[in-house]
Amino acid sequence: MPSPPLIMTSVTKRFGAFTAVDSLSLEVPDGQIIGFLGPNGAGKSTSLRMALGIMEPDSGEVELFGERPNVRALQRVGFLPEERGLYKKMSARDTISHFARLKGLSAHDARARADELLGATGLEEFSRTRISKLSKGMAQKVQILSTLAHRPDFLILDEPFSGLDPVNQQALEGLIRTEHARGATILFSTHVMEHAERLCDRIVMMARGRKVLDGTLQEAFATLGQGARISVEAGFDLAAVLAPKGFEAIRTPDTGHGETWRIDLPPGREAQDALRAALEAGAPITGFAPEEARLRDVFVSLVGEADAAALAASLAEDEAA
Amino acid sequence: MRNILLIFRRDYLGYVKAWGFWLSLAAVPLFMIIGAALAGFAAQSSPVRYFAVVEPGSIYADAIEAEFQRREQADAERTSEIAEQLDLPAMTEDEARAAAEGASVASRKFIPVPAPAESIDGLRPYLLGEKTVSGPLGDKPLFAAFVLAEDGSELEYWSDDVNVDQLRYLGQDAMLRLARRDALTEAGLDEDFLQNVDDAAFAVPARRIRTVEEQDAAGNEVTMADRAPMFVAGGLAYFLWLMVFSIIQYLLMGTIEERSNKIFDTLLTSVKLPELLAGKLLAVFAVTSTMMLSWGLFAFAGGTVVATQIPGVGNIIEPFAAALANPAIIVPGLISFILGYIMYGMIFMALGSLCDTIQEAQTLLSPMMILLMLPMFAIFIAFQDPGSPIIDIASWIPFFTPFLLILRMPHDPPMWEVIAQMGVMLASTLLVLWLATKVYRAGAVHGAGIGDMGIALKRMVGLKGKKVA
Repeated sequence: MPSPPLIMTSVTKRFGAFTAVDSLSLEVPDGQIIGFLGPNGAGKSTSLRMALGIMEPDSGEVELFGERPNVRALQRVGFLPEERGLYKKMSARDTISHFARLKGLSAHDARARADELLGATGLEEFSRTRISKLSKGMAQKVQILSTLAHRPDFLILDEPFSGLDPVNQQALEGLIRTEHARGATILFSTHVMEHAERLCDRIVMMARGRKVLDGTLQEAFATLGQGARISVEAGFDLAAVLAPKGFEAIRTPDTGHGETWRIDLPPGREAQDALRAALEAGAPITGFAPEEARLRDVFVSLVGEADAAALAASLAEDEAA
Repeated sequence: MRNILLIFRRDYLGYVKAWGFWLSLAAVPLFMIIGAALAGFAAQSSPVRYFAVVEPGSIYADAIEAEFQRREQADAERTSEIAEQLDLPAMTEDEARAAAEGASVASRKFIPVPAPAESIDGLRPYLLGEKTVSGPLGDKPLFAAFVLAEDGSELEYWSDDVNVDQLRYLGQDAMLRLARRDALTEAGLDEDFLQNVDDAAFAVPARRIRTVEEQDAAGNEVTMADRAPMFVAGGLAYFLWLMVFSIIQYLLMGTIEERSNKIFDTLLTSVKLPELLAGKLLAVFAVTSTMMLSWGLFAFAGGTVVATQIPGVGNIIEPFAAALANPAIIVPGLISFILGYIMYGMIFMALGSLCDTIQEAQTLLSPMMILLMLPMFAIFIAFQDPGSPIIDIASWIPFFTPFLLILRMPHDPPMWEVIAQMGVMLASTLLVLWLATKVYRAGAVHGAGIGDMGIALKRMVGLKGKKVA
């Protein structure tokens, strides 16, 4: 039976006194799309770099296709790093071809594959253009194509959507689905939960270097009860007034009119009951919505408000970029 | 190996496709051609000037003419000596004299003409260019005049141009010889007395001690064949130095570019770090070799053109070719060359991996230049006196060994020393490789900067410090 693409067992990485990754165990089975979620600084990139052997763990074991990360195993992997970088003076075609050759393709096959990928993504007219002359989005596309050029069995994408506009984000989602349909296993990190919701078979959530969830989307949502969202004027403590009535309220990082609280509905109670209780308590309500379960709520419920705020900050940084 | 070649190919093509490479490649021959042309033009275009000697008779004019001829004769003898040292076909004395005299007379830049006036006031308009005098090259102003002082105690040199002094110095030498001749005559001695004394002195020819068998085969005279090994070793040591000097900017800038491009993570999921470093080092070596080979070919082509004009050029090349083919010189020489290149190359590459910007790298350049000037001084001393105790000691210092071992080889150092120094060099290179790889990993993969190296050093010597991430 073939070994799974990746197994990490109790992997820990420290930088001085700071523990970046703490006893992470993770298995990536063949053929899945797995989302590696968490805010910036959660330890995602460090974990991925250890998975690829770029960085050695302080303790624990990493197995890539059944062996310690080595060049042979890495030939089957395509990696898109978080910090994008290409040779600025190389043309798009030469870039894709060069990285494909480093992954074992012959010169002829690498060039043919570069032409094929550039054609498929509408970049053929830029194939001879230097990377430095391409727009940031185009250069990022070229880097993604370089990652796929050798038809890897296992794709590791670190924040692949970061820096892309919505159109290109959608195109990348399509590309990930295509690669998955081809048979590739995909592990991608992101702090944008919506991408994971749309793409993933399974999610792994990280916060402060620790894994806080590992399961399917259904299993993730099952960690949440039924819920509702009530927005109140800023400064009103909804949790304090609802607690005596049997509802748990958690402030969310959502922005809008006032402050939004997520209400956890106990079994047998409905969203309308929570609204009624809030009105009876004199809450200055500015908005109300029965809740559809979202991964972000799963994350908030698992890691608390501090890490949720970190996630919001990551999103803000991403938008600013 | 395939990955090394792929990294090599990309880096090499990256360098040679850049405009800067072609500019550097063209600049040296271009400057050589322009320099030679300018020098030739300056020599050709230097004007031929008239001078006159004002005196009652012709004693001083004759003395000056004799000095001209003495110098031309000396030039002829020097040419003959050089030809002899190079084992060129010997010229006969007459041929050499005729050749040198012909060349010198033809290239004389000062020609005597009859004085157009007998006093400095009368000469003034000629010296100021207001009037001309007739001479072999037509009418020209008078450039200078030697005028005997009224009291006969000085031969004054008059000219409007105070910067061109050659003629005045020639006149001074002529007066010295004239005074000597007069003094000898007064003492009842022949004019050639001093020359005869010089000629009577024993010559001290250089002889090389060899075994009897070697002496029977090669004689005992010191020829170019004896000196060629030192020139070859010196050339090799200097070439290594030049190579190391040339790669600094390539390695620094190349590594900075990759660090700022944040490309290492991508590369390191395809190749091993040692493969990456080897490919890069090889590429820079090939770039500098391409450059130097091109310049060498240019020089060779130029030399060949010149050589066709010189009889017996094969005699010049032969001893150098023999020295280059001597395994006792070339094998340790090549090993030293390769290990030295790797050692210095890895140091510069590791330092480059710690820099984010060119400005940051420039702060490293000064200490690197100083580090590189030290071997240059050592090469200079070793070339003068390879047996010097300083060189003996310095050749055990790993940073100097690659250069100095090459230079010591023509002097047959003890075999145990050669082997031991090669061992030291190999161990040092491996140590540098190990350390530089760690530094490179810290810089390229973990983003460590120059400041972090201080912390890392403190950790190495046991002081507390933050771990380099």
